[in-house]
Amino acid sequence: MIQILVYGAVISAVYAMLAVGFTLIFGVARILNLAHGSFYALGAYAVYTLTAQAHLPLWLAAILAVLLVAAFGMLIERLLVRPLRRSSLAVLLITLAVALMVEQALLLTFGSEARNVPSMVSTTYHFAGVDISGQRLLALTGGIGVLLGLWAFMQHTRLGLAILAISQDAEAAQYMGIPSDRIYSIVMGLSAGIAAAAGVLVAPFQTVIPGMGLLPLVKAFAIVVVGGLGSIPGSIVGALLLGYSETIIAFKVSIEWSQIVSVAAVLLTLVLRPAGFFGKRAAF
Amino acid sequence: MAILLIDWVGAVLALLVLAAAPLALGSSYIIGVLTVALCFGIWAASWDFMSGLTGRENFGHSLFIGAGAYAAGFLNVTFGLSPWWSLLAAPLVAVFFSILMGFPTLRLKGPYFALAMLSGAAVMQNLTIIFSEYTGGQDGLNGLEPLLDPPLAQYYFTLACLALTALVLKFIANSPWGTILRAIRGDEASCQAAGINVTFYKIASLMISAAFAGVGAALYAHYQLQVGPDLFAVVLSINIIIMVYVGGMGSIYGPIGGAVLLNVLTEVLRGFSEYRLWVYTLVLIFIVFFMPQGLVAPLWRRIRAVTR
Amino acid sequence: MTALLNVRDLSKRFGGLQAVKDVSFSLAPGTITGVLGPNGAGKTTLFNLLTGFIGFDSGSVEFDGRSIARLAPHQIVNRGLSRTFQLARPFMGMTVRENVEVACLAPRVRHRGTPRARAQALLEQVGLGAKAEQLVDVLPYGDLRRLEIARALATNPQLLLLDEPFAGLGGSEIEPLANLIKSLHRSERLTILIIEHKLREFMQLVSEVIAMDFGEVVAIGPPAMIVRHPRVVEAYIGTAAIERTAQPAEDGLGAL
Repeated sequence: MIQILVYGAVISAVYAMLAVGFTLIFGVARILNLAHGSFYALGAYAVYTLTAQAHLPLWLAAILAVLLVAAFGMLIERLLVRPLRRSSLAVLLITLAVALMVEQALLLTFGSEARNVPSMVSTTYHFAGVDISGQRLLALTGGIGVLLGLWAFMQHTRLGLAILAISQDAEAAQYMGIPSDRIYSIVMGLSAGIAAAAGVLVAPFQTVIPGMGLLPLVKAFAIVVVGGLGSIPGSIVGALLLGYSETIIAFKVSIEWSQIVSVAAVLLTLVLRPAGFFGKRAAF
Repeated sequence: MAILLIDWVGAVLALLVLAAAPLALGSSYIIGVLTVALCFGIWAASWDFMSGLTGRENFGHSLFIGAGAYAAGFLNVTFGLSPWWSLLAAPLVAVFFSILMGFPTLRLKGPYFALAMLSGAAVMQNLTIIFSEYTGGQDGLNGLEPLLDPPLAQYYFTLACLALTALVLKFIANSPWGTILRAIRGDEASCQAAGINVTFYKIASLMISAAFAGVGAALYAHYQLQVGPDLFAVVLSINIIIMVYVGGMGSIYGPIGGAVLLNVLTEVLRGFSEYRLWVYTLVLIFIVFFMPQGLVAPLWRRIRAVTR
Repeated sequence: MTALLNVRDLSKRFGGLQAVKDVSFSLAPGTITGVLGPNGAGKTTLFNLLTGFIGFDSGSVEFDGRSIARLAPHQIVNRGLSRTFQLARPFMGMTVRENVEVACLAPRVRHRGTPRARAQALLEQVGLGAKAEQLVDVLPYGDLRRLEIARALATNPQLLLLDEPFAGLGGSEIEPLANLIKSLHRSERLTILIIEHKLREFMQLVSEVIAMDFGEVVAIGPPAMIVRHPRVVEAYIGTAAIERTAQPAEDGLGAL
């Protein structure tokens, strides 16, 4: 029982980070970013490279990894996405192309065997008769920290408020003189950075392989649809729901059944309430 | 766009090229590549018929493919029936799924419809893995029989099926039915106001799309001689959409060209081994940036214009 | 003479807003009736209710003796009730003729001659014959209005609902369109219900006016009487002033 509680929380925190980044870039720039999973994978691989090959201390590698991936995200937005913004299908295909290329690049550079990233916290904690690795707890607290930081940023900085404004009404924001193009870049950077942070935090206990970004993308996507595209609170609630349903089903029934939850949830949401259960308005 | 003499000439030429290719290039490997390319051609054309014409992009076309393929697998392997029954069963099963998914999802707006169909396919993929005792799980069903022996004969049969698919779909697309589908793309409310039962046409065209996808699936299954959950994968749906995009949406014949082109390209790039996917992706990026109308259809329209 | 359209106590609420409330009126066959009212009076909602695009909460609508409650829009069209839209929404990417051809494929008229030929004939009737093969995307606004009418006529309606047909048209385009409507009314023996802001055109076309405000019917009567009706004047005082500045000294609203 405690296991479900804690594992569910860890998974939910990671899902929340992925979902919030995904919904942010959609809510603001109307981009369905299929390369979102790539940012997650790149975060993990970056921290691996920076520690195993550049021999940087773990905490520095982690921060650098996040910053590098964020910059990469901004680059992608500026070079590949912005010129195609008129056609959403074109943007979709481009982000798909990026995802494919990143996966291939990772495969070519690192090969297909799983990479080992050392834990930042190597102690295991005992909690009411259950063993929980310190790294998992770090992932949980790290996730919560990142989300709180994001919330603070959105509520208390001018940039954050501008982003919030655009996500609610892009046209009105333009009339108010908010430079949407620059904001899109920044949000993409934020979105990529948060996804990378998730990758960094889970790298020590998740399998680090080139294709590791696909499943998280699917989950992030499912959460965002259920929670309402563009709604941050919706993503967080959705992440909790998905994280816990998967954990409960995985423990009580089987892992295979737990994987169907995300896609079944998407289907049900679209048929019953397309805008999502917590979204404020229809996203499309 | 009416079908002119030049179109018939082009079609016959394409058919001849496809018929001669395995003979000219010789190996059984080539026959294999081309058979698969033709199956993708059927899938691409069937996708284009529904989504290319109505503009309601279906991101779950693999649902019909997987369903048809497994139907073929069950009939042939589990029940021991002749593989020819698959050509009837696969489209029927695919149509069943199109009705099941179509009714609740076709009323949804564009992207929601796309996503709903996508998740429908994903759900089926997961179910196939969950109920592995019946479906063979990740390994799927093996030991299907080919339709015809030698493979060259089956290739020609597949080619004939593709030709028939193209003919029928193009014919319907050029009929009043096609006009209505294109009007649905234009504005559904205006269509309703014109007295057209939009729901009927959307579901019917989805069913037709599924039926042909099912036929392609049966042909594919009895070529590969195995079926697995990958046939429900999102990747497959997206690959097909890319082929349609490259070929030129809404033309029916363009997607077939796109399918053959991309399948051949993938094989040609095998020489590049590891860099293959890079090249493929770069080609994709190039086309998305510079040729949003696709490659095949616009090219053919140019040729057409010149001959008038 | 039995009414072609009988509307009784029609009501529709959207959340907190009562868009249409207890609206009742009848249309005699062969008449042209107008619906007048300021923005937000519920006129277009009324049209949407009558044509099946929105379901009504209570009340009844009888067309040609039969109820049309819970019918889908295309079914109502096939009973003989057509409409045009306030904002023209043609089928882009298709030719002018194809746009009308779609309506000629409706079950009600499917077998009346070749859809293609009929579409061409209808275009001639509204004066668009020469532009039949042009793509609708480049058609000027005035022609789009005529196209809408052709499309609505294609299904051989008994009752035609026109939603602000003169909206967005400049001075020289209005009279030809009004004349077209008048001649079609005669030649096709149509009953017409028309929403319009522009009072001058209204007065010339309609024999009776249904005045609405805040979703309710405020008065029904001949145009001359309606224009003097206190409630109508009250509702229009603001709008009339705006219309007067837009059309200086010509709009015949001196009485107001």
